[in-house]
Amino acid sequence: MKKRFPAWLIGLIGILLITLIPIVALWPKETGPSTDPWDYLPEHPTHTDHSKIISGPFETAQDVTRSCLECHEDAASEVMHTTHWTWQSQPVEVPWRDEPVTIGKFNQVNNFCISTAGNESKCMTCHIGYNWDQYPPKGYDFSVEENVDCLVCHADKGLYAKGEYGNPADGVDLVAAAQSVGVPTRENCGGCHFNGGGGNGVKHGDLDESLYYPNEQLDVHMGKYDFLCTDCHQTTEHQVKGRLLGDNYTIDPAEQVQCTDCHVEPPHEDERINAHLDTVACQTCHIPATARKDPTKTYWDWSQAGEDRGDDHYTYLKIKGEFIYERDVTPTYIWFNGNNEYRYLVGDPINTDGPTYINKPAGSISDPTAKIFPFKIMVTIQPYDPVNGYLLTPITAGEGGYWHDFDWDQAFRLMEERLGLPYSGKYDWTETHMYYPQSHMVEPAENALQCNDCHGPDGRLDWEALGYPGDPIEWGGRFNEK
Amino acid sequence: MTRHISTKTFSLGLLLILLLASAAYGVGQVIAQRHQPAPQAGSPMHPTFAFLDANGQNVLTSGQPVSTMQTCGQCHDTDYIASHSFHTDLGLSEYQQSGTSSGPFGKWDPLTYRYLSAAGDERLDLGTAEWIMTYGLRHVGGGPASTSRSGGDLTALPPDETNPETAFLNPDGSVSAWDWKQSGIVEMNCFLCHMDAPDNQARIAALQSGNFAWANTATLASSGLVTETAEGFSWNPEAFTEDGQLRAEYLFVQKPTNENCAQCHGVADRSNDALVITDFSLNNPQTATTGQVISPQKIAESGMNIAGKDDLTRSWDVHAERQLACTDCHFSLNNPAYAIKDDAPDHLLFDPRRLDIGAYLQRPSHNFARGESAQYSVAPELKGTMRRCESCHDAKTSHAQWLPYIDRHMETLACESCHIPQLYAPAIEQYDWTVLTAEGEPLKFFRGIAGNSENSDTITNLVTGYQPVLMMRENVDGDTLLAPYNIITTWYWVYEDANGNTLPVREVDLKAAWFEGQSYAPEVLAAFDANGDGNLDNTELRIDSDTKRETIAARLEDLGLQNVHIAGQMQPYSVNHNVTRGEWAVNDCTACHSTSSRLTQPIQLAAYVPAGVMPEFVDTNVTYSGELTTDDNGALYYNPRPKADGLYVFGSSHISWLDWFGVLAFIGTLLGIAGHSTLRYLAARKQAKHAVTLKKVYMYTAYERFWHWLQVVAIVFLLLTGLVIHLPDKFGAFNFRYMVPIHNALATVLVANAFLSLFYHLVSGEIKQYVPRPRGFFDQAILQSKFYLQGIFKGEPHPFEKTPEKKLNPLQQATYFGLLNVLLPLQVITGILMWGAQTWPEITAALGGLQWLAPLHTLIAWLLASFIVGHVYLTTTGPTILTDIKAMITGWEDVEVHEHEEE
Repeated sequence: MKKRFPAWLIGLIGILLITLIPIVALWPKETGPSTDPWDYLPEHPTHTDHSKIISGPFETAQDVTRSCLECHEDAASEVMHTTHWTWQSQPVEVPWRDEPVTIGKFNQVNNFCISTAGNESKCMTCHIGYNWDQYPPKGYDFSVEENVDCLVCHADKGLYAKGEYGNPADGVDLVAAAQSVGVPTRENCGGCHFNGGGGNGVKHGDLDESLYYPNEQLDVHMGKYDFLCTDCHQTTEHQVKGRLLGDNYTIDPAEQVQCTDCHVEPPHEDERINAHLDTVACQTCHIPATARKDPTKTYWDWSQAGEDRGDDHYTYLKIKGEFIYERDVTPTYIWFNGNNEYRYLVGDPINTDGPTYINKPAGSISDPTAKIFPFKIMVTIQPYDPVNGYLLTPITAGEGGYWHDFDWDQAFRLMEERLGLPYSGKYDWTETHMYYPQSHMVEPAENALQCNDCHGPDGRLDWEALGYPGDPIEWGGRFNEK
Repeated sequence: MTRHISTKTFSLGLLLILLLASAAYGVGQVIAQRHQPAPQAGSPMHPTFAFLDANGQNVLTSGQPVSTMQTCGQCHDTDYIASHSFHTDLGLSEYQQSGTSSGPFGKWDPLTYRYLSAAGDERLDLGTAEWIMTYGLRHVGGGPASTSRSGGDLTALPPDETNPETAFLNPDGSVSAWDWKQSGIVEMNCFLCHMDAPDNQARIAALQSGNFAWANTATLASSGLVTETAEGFSWNPEAFTEDGQLRAEYLFVQKPTNENCAQCHGVADRSNDALVITDFSLNNPQTATTGQVISPQKIAESGMNIAGKDDLTRSWDVHAERQLACTDCHFSLNNPAYAIKDDAPDHLLFDPRRLDIGAYLQRPSHNFARGESAQYSVAPELKGTMRRCESCHDAKTSHAQWLPYIDRHMETLACESCHIPQLYAPAIEQYDWTVLTAEGEPLKFFRGIAGNSENSDTITNLVTGYQPVLMMRENVDGDTLLAPYNIITTWYWVYEDANGNTLPVREVDLKAAWFEGQSYAPEVLAAFDANGDGNLDNTELRIDSDTKRETIAARLEDLGLQNVHIAGQMQPYSVNHNVTRGEWAVNDCTACHSTSSRLTQPIQLAAYVPAGVMPEFVDTNVTYSGELTTDDNGALYYNPRPKADGLYVFGSSHISWLDWFGVLAFIGTLLGIAGHSTLRYLAARKQAKHAVTLKKVYMYTAYERFWHWLQVVAIVFLLLTGLVIHLPDKFGAFNFRYMVPIHNALATVLVANAFLSLFYHLVSGEIKQYVPRPRGFFDQAILQSKFYLQGIFKGEPHPFEKTPEKKLNPLQQATYFGLLNVLLPLQVITGILMWGAQTWPEITAALGGLQWLAPLHTLIAWLLASFIVGHVYLTTTGPTILTDIKAMITGWEDVEVHEHEEE
């Protein structure tokens, strides 16, 4: 009797089970599976301290890259498969061209500084490759591994900077920079991306230097939760997730960062709000305004350049013309399915009846994949060739460029020599529009737009322009029209 | 020289020309602005029309004021509309029948104070004309502004200063006759509610100057249709076509918006511009009396100085935020889109036979759906005509995720009680008309604003907001619910007139008693001016002594008033707007289920009680079940008493003597045990251990042991969780919300276990062990008692041998008999009834309701707890202390062998 497993223990376990089972069964039901966004974030491993590993000395920047490649053998070839390196997309077919085309900063135009090609000395400051001065325009050899600039993304930005033609700036201590390498910080990404278009906050509206140290109100992810860029723009084999609409025609959703990567649906307790999700992008409510701290450029008139009016960073520069900068801008809301309906390609005819769209987001009320999405619209007056009917690209930076000699004709002729796009000898000015989707500077949830911000007599959405018969609160939504 | 002069002349001339030109330009601009058509905001469907005067002539030819009844009556049945509109009637029809009314025409309101005089009143206060001048700014016209109390036209009444309908009280107290033919009357004003931008200021100015005939035309003052002249207004021909029709671009007719309603009712704003409210006087009555603000904005984004504003990221009113308009709930009762046909038979969910839209447009009822609220007993026949929360919201679905006892909560609480937890604008707390400030105003006190004794109804201080008090409201269908209210307390002088009616002292008499000329009468100053500075500040201006009271009373009586004394009243103002949702609503169990329960939270009624006169509750559909108390500073409070409303709120309602009794029983048992065990210990030391023969007996079968220990676990945890539910404040570490389901689950286990063991005992016949044998029972019980009281100390053996067939001694039998037949069933039944209060409320109610069941349940719990302590102690009286407990675990017990029985 005494040898066997004590019966009282069995009894006790039985009793506890019998008491606990009904408690568990009758427990008030909690809401579904965990929706904790933290579960979807990458871990931040401690980065190996390279100061003991790297000793130098390095003669050239390429020596640094060669040194990196001794251990990280595949790093350069990985990088060379990314658009950070190629500055252009894979060839894609577009309806208005017979041949597949590539799209990117390398070969297309925008409505800021217009064209990188021909202006390598300045523009390539933001390319992750060295030695652009060793190649003719459009002739860069993209296959040279040692030209990959590891430092611009991985070195301490206090120790490294780039200068002309993508080469390190004068006076950079390459050993110190190489010893400082780590996971890319906000400074590494921001150095180029916060200054797109030629200065702080110029291009995007939702990306500027205020994001180096934002507070919670400016960007809840980076300000409250201390995110790095790479927490959302997650990276495998140097392939960084996230694509810029302006530099693409269509974008594979798998390559794009989505709010729902972490915020599993349905994200709101309120059913009424969740009912909006098929039609309204997260950004629409959660980014009520853009360029909230630093202003962004919304208008640029190149035709006014060249006058000695006295330079002012925010209104007029002799080399660039007239601008308007705006702060706390209410975005423009249009239908957007993630792709462009059109992307201007070099040589495309301009629109003679209204503005020319450098890019035009795709989507309409009848496109079930499209949602109402906030955009910054950049309006620019830029040069075109009235004889050939396409946009012209000037040489701006460097010898003989417009910024040196203030001679548009010469700037276009030089570019014709370098790139081969015929210039008739006549130029004029035309209005172009570019659309930048707003996805950064997400505000805390309590700042999100609420019903009356869009609906009702004072709402910010133009329902009829969006294709509704009237305010859907009265007329019904597009999926349940009354 | 000549040349010089000519230059100067030329310059002067040029200057003059420039001046003239700019003046002309300016005038042109002004004229252009005047005649600029209002932006067309009206309905695109509404046709243009001609403006007609009272005789049906086009106003362009007659130059007369517009008659809305004629103009709108060209298409709409204006007689029907005017006769189906409480907004027009305001109690006149009731007044015509009974001489009193529940509406603003006839019911005295101590906030606005002026009293509508009835025929035969000794003293004239408000004649009908002055009623329009005073209260007409919040009256849409028609009704008492056009019809006499006998049902005829006011204009048919001859001027007569003895008839309150045609008499007018001058500021000096003299009375003159009113000539209705000269002033004209006010027709129902369609423009006020159906225009995008009515000129209410111009309308009010016309009313207050007694220019009634032009008041409705004045509403058009900023529309470009009329221009103000010395006599009234002149019609602008440019706004009309050649054939006298309104030009399309001037057309303004629209469905009433919140802004239209806001003109009379309070702050109701739809714009996204930062909200700023400065005026919370009675011009904004809904806001002033309750703090309700209708706005879609987030409170955090308002332009006001509100305490903790940054965190108030909720909207003022979730329905406004979601774009509901006033008229969506307060709809026209015969609007085919909204009409509720409640005369349909029960089997019919929807009656599709609706009014044709054309017929509705011709005869739209202007009686609007209203809720159950009580602040004015206005339009009682329309009470409850509105769709309420539950008509649109399915509370059971929306609360299913988290709220236990949904039915119970819903039948006790109005939705507003949790969903309007706090108002974020100030509200009136107290008007003291027993005194007058230097401006001739009553002393006013507000809640929800820092420095609330500030005698000003302009918001300048920090707004703190306030929590409304919960009171039991009786709906028209007889249901009673706790709902949120502001209570406004007023004090005022009354007198008895020659007809034996008690009436409020007229404002004119009150001023005569307090003032001589522009300043306080010397006699008043002598009584009130404690610091002798010649002014009366807010602390001096208070009737807190017999001298002060008698001074004013005597001065009033000198005016010929009889039996002058102070009266006071408390009026609840219902809070139904400013609803919020989710995290902003009350959703923490302990907000109500705790000692500091929301349900018992008092509300301050007044900073002091003038002359010690306790105010009377105004008879409404609200139950005054609370208590009035005053604090050390003399402030008066209303303390709700849920118990008096028949509510027992777990965690909040306690019967303290019962808890004390329970605690004493429990402690008493512990003390008894302590004494008994000490004696046993001492006795055992003194005495050699009595030699007993022991033998091992298989006392308890496995099932018996299992059954016993399961019950132990269930009962112990039931007692613990029950204690937390009963006294959540004392056990803050435990989450109230989770205690209730655990308690219920354990009770299920207990009951199931009890039934299974009953079945076992019945089938096995073991039940007979529990049944006391009547024969010799008392002798045996006495024997057993004697053992516990004497023998046990002497080391005597137990008087009865314990065998598997007879485990219980007679005392045990008696105890268990009582326990199992009385206490346990009672506890189970009271528990089930409390749990079932939401499923079968009528059964629970029939058995006395929670207020009886819950205390009984608590009492039995205390008794059971005491029993357990004694029970455990008695298990230690075996051969060794742990013998019996071991036996209940292993089944084998060392029992004493009783030699005498073996003999």
